[in-house]
Amino acid sequence: MAIKVGDTIPESTLSYAPYNPEHPDACSLPQLLKTHEAFKGKKVVLFAVPGAFTPTCSENHMPEYVKDVADIKSKGVDIVACIASNDAFVMDAWGKTYNVKDNILMLSDANGEFGSAMGLVNDGTKNRMGPIRLARFAMIIDDLKVVYLGVEPGRDVTVSGAPAVEAKL
Amino acid sequence: MTIKVGDEFPQVQLKYIPFNKENPDACTSPQVLDTKKDFAGKKVAVIGVPGAFSPTCSVKHLPAYVTKINEIKAKGVDLVVCVSGNDFFVMSAWGKEEGVQGNIIMAGDANGELGRATGLSLDLSKVAMGPVRLTRFLVIVDNGKVTHLSVEPDPTDVTVTGADNLLAAL
Repeated sequence: MAIKVGDTIPESTLSYAPYNPEHPDACSLPQLLKTHEAFKGKKVVLFAVPGAFTPTCSENHMPEYVKDVADIKSKGVDIVACIASNDAFVMDAWGKTYNVKDNILMLSDANGEFGSAMGLVNDGTKNRMGPIRLARFAMIIDDLKVVYLGVEPGRDVTVSGAPAVEAKL
Repeated sequence: MTIKVGDEFPQVQLKYIPFNKENPDACTSPQVLDTKKDFAGKKVAVIGVPGAFSPTCSVKHLPAYVTKINEIKAKGVDLVVCVSGNDFFVMSAWGKEEGVQGNIIMAGDANGELGRATGLSLDLSKVAMGPVRLTRFLVIVDNGKVTHLSVEPDPTDVTVTGADNLLAAL
């Protein structure tokens, strides 16, 4: 049963490689992040992509958020995060190709816990992408409650893109 | 059950994105690598790594294979395949960053098929990297048969699975 507006996001353990301003190119050691602890009391824009380094995600989805992150944060958003089923090293490397620094938190749900708990995963085995891949979606989370959810119905970026989210802020 | 020297290398289909010399930045159509059909009659070195873009893999493991690829091929290796639990898009991007240029097939085992078939999988869920990843290993497959197998006792280090280890085993 998929998560919906009004629900509380699940408590899950994700990971990310923290940005180090003294060594911006270094790959720091991934840290674990517990969703309830990290997002409590905050307004979060979370957008999910099926795969780092894949065409649609890299060309049509991520760039808009990179461009608009300052605008999004100026509307009272504390954290803008990108999440995928890739591991934290991959998310870190992908984020670096866009020079995100610490403007966008690049999160990993490699264990599939978070996506599965929300019912927002697809089986990618036919394409050899693994059995648990996050769907493409964007969410506005306010103090752990889902206040906007746009799950992409097709292969394009519409309800999960930066403009759609900004219209709701 | 883990494979051993003398075994037939299991038949698994992995995916990879071929390198496009004319347009190296292009994302070309993925191809399937069949570990039985495509290895038949060939001498193949298969290198398993826990994670693309991770420090040990990127600093200590893959680079030596990139720089020594000609030496490796001069010793009769027809195909060098680098595989991890990442998907093939990630492997392709990593290969581009490491300057592989099509000399090594960067294959993804995101379905965990190779890991399960060889017994060389690693559960990295405790560090949030997923339950079916590959450990660090080096296999030489000669016309379908495993003639060399070394598995890193500590997957965060490279001692028996490096390019020099491969050259010494050929």
